[in-house]
Amino acid sequence: MKKTKSSKGKKLFFKNETNGVNDPDINTDSVDTEQEKGKEGETVKARETVPAQEIKKGRQKRKKADREPAQDESGEFLPGTAIPEADEIIAEENEPAGQTKTDSRVIKNRGPWQEAFADDNTILIQRTVRSGQSVRFDGNVVVMGDVNPGSEIVASGNIVVMGALRGVVHAGALGNENATVAAFKLQPMQLRIANHITRAPDGDYLTPEYPEIARIKDGVVVIEVYQMGQDRQTKIG
Amino acid sequence: MGEVIVITSGKGGVGKTTTTANIGTGLAASGLKVVLVDTDIGLRNLDVVLGLENRIVYDIVDVTHGNCRLKQALIKDKRFEGLHLLPAAQTKDKTSVTPDQIRELCAQLKKEFDYVIIDCPAGIEQGFKNAIAGAEKAIVVTTPEVSAVRDADRIIGLLEAAELHNPKLIVNRLRPLMVKRGDMMSIDDIIDILAIDLLGVVPEDEMIVITTNKGEPAVLDNNSRAGQAYRNVARRITGEDVPLMDLEAETGLMYKLKKLIGFK
Ligand SMILES: Nc1ncnc2c1ncn2[C@@H]1O[C@H](COP(=O)(O)OP(=O)(O)O)[C@@H](O)[C@H]1O
Ligand SMILES: [Mg+2]
Repeated sequence: MKKTKSSKGKKLFFKNETNGVNDPDINTDSVDTEQEKGKEGETVKARETVPAQEIKKGRQKRKKADREPAQDESGEFLPGTAIPEADEIIAEENEPAGQTKTDSRVIKNRGPWQEAFADDNTILIQRTVRSGQSVRFDGNVVVMGDVNPGSEIVASGNIVVMGALRGVVHAGALGNENATVAAFKLQPMQLRIANHITRAPDGDYLTPEYPEIARIKDGVVVIEVYQMGQDRQTKIG
Repeated sequence: MGEVIVITSGKGGVGKTTTTANIGTGLAASGLKVVLVDTDIGLRNLDVVLGLENRIVYDIVDVTHGNCRLKQALIKDKRFEGLHLLPAAQTKDKTSVTPDQIRELCAQLKKEFDYVIIDCPAGIEQGFKNAIAGAEKAIVVTTPEVSAVRDADRIIGLLEAAELHNPKLIVNRLRPLMVKRGDMMSIDDIIDILAIDLLGVVPEDEMIVITTNKGEPAVLDNNSRAGQAYRNVARRITGEDVPLMDLEAETGLMYKLKKLIGFK
């Protein structure tokens, strides 16, 4: 009898662990989302619009010079113009996945020190975001999967893609110029931070095999190698 | 005042988007002011075929919902001064615009452009109704297949019901050798059924696939047979009298005659 209970308990414990019970560093406001829009988009195949990448060793920086502003030739749209629907971002929250019997206070009470550097809302998307799908969130968005061409992610905070980012992303969509976009393969069709817009260069271009991060520096979007640990440090200071 | 032409077919995958991109580019290459309107909301392609996807900020739904001005949403082509694209939205669906809104949009566009060419989605539902709402002329695209021709016939009926008279026909992906062997419908067979004017015949051509993937319409490629056919179509649209090219002709009447006399 006791044995069964304890083995059950162990299972639960294991489940909790992935929800961050034992790790006070993890912001437990994070929710799993099943957010999806555009049913039709479901059936669309990802197009091969992004050329096959080649490894280019020793490449440290991909500056904005590689990229050009979007929809500018008509003189109608220049970086710095307001972003469409930027004010329409809505937070969609679902019940946290993996409900257990555990006392929720254990994870809901943040330590006071936590407030100092834990970010606010974050959603975790554990799927590929496909053409026609749109994720809009007032907070940070983390995707464990790819973001395909024809899809979009709009967030008031940061966007992290643990996979290939090939769609349109907009971080800091409500105007936060400190927002960043990081991805294992950063090959966005278009990348926007606050009201800065850059787009992929036309034709074939080289993309590195290592994670990169985009942010605004001195008024332009720069893309750099993602340095492990560095962002954590700059954040606190 | 420009002209509003819708490119439609009923069936999907017969070459509406390819035709829109090539005719538009062909017309713009001869110095005309052209705007291509993608009404395939939710399954947009025209931007990709034209190699302009990375420039999209605003789309047709933003325009009809008043999120931006029409001019802001028009994307200038990278090759031709006179060519513009009004992209479809990808994360919305067909019901996010209405026929009235498209009619209004076309009325505005034709004040500025010589040709407003509308890429219609497959089907006969809302997307189709939106696409034809502002059109004054229609081009029906079909392939030499019974099912595509059947759908084209249905579409022609619907166009007539919508007061869009005398649509013109483009037969796409024709394979002359197959027609010769009697394994593919000939132009005559198709016209027998559809009974509308022929605007052009575009051969099956792998250059279409290559150029489509590169985002550069085949009409610009002098070595492409399909490109040549589209150049001819563009000239016919502007009123020039251009005879059917060899390949277009050899699969038509000649074949029927030969067959009658017993050649094969
Ligand atoms: N003449 C042609 N020769 C070879 N391939 C073609 C030709 N016309 C169209 N295609 C191919 O057929 C497919 C469907 O064409 P598309 O223009 O997208 O059709 P639709 O817009 O009617 O759905 C595309 O992959 C295109 O490259
Ligand atoms: Mg199409």
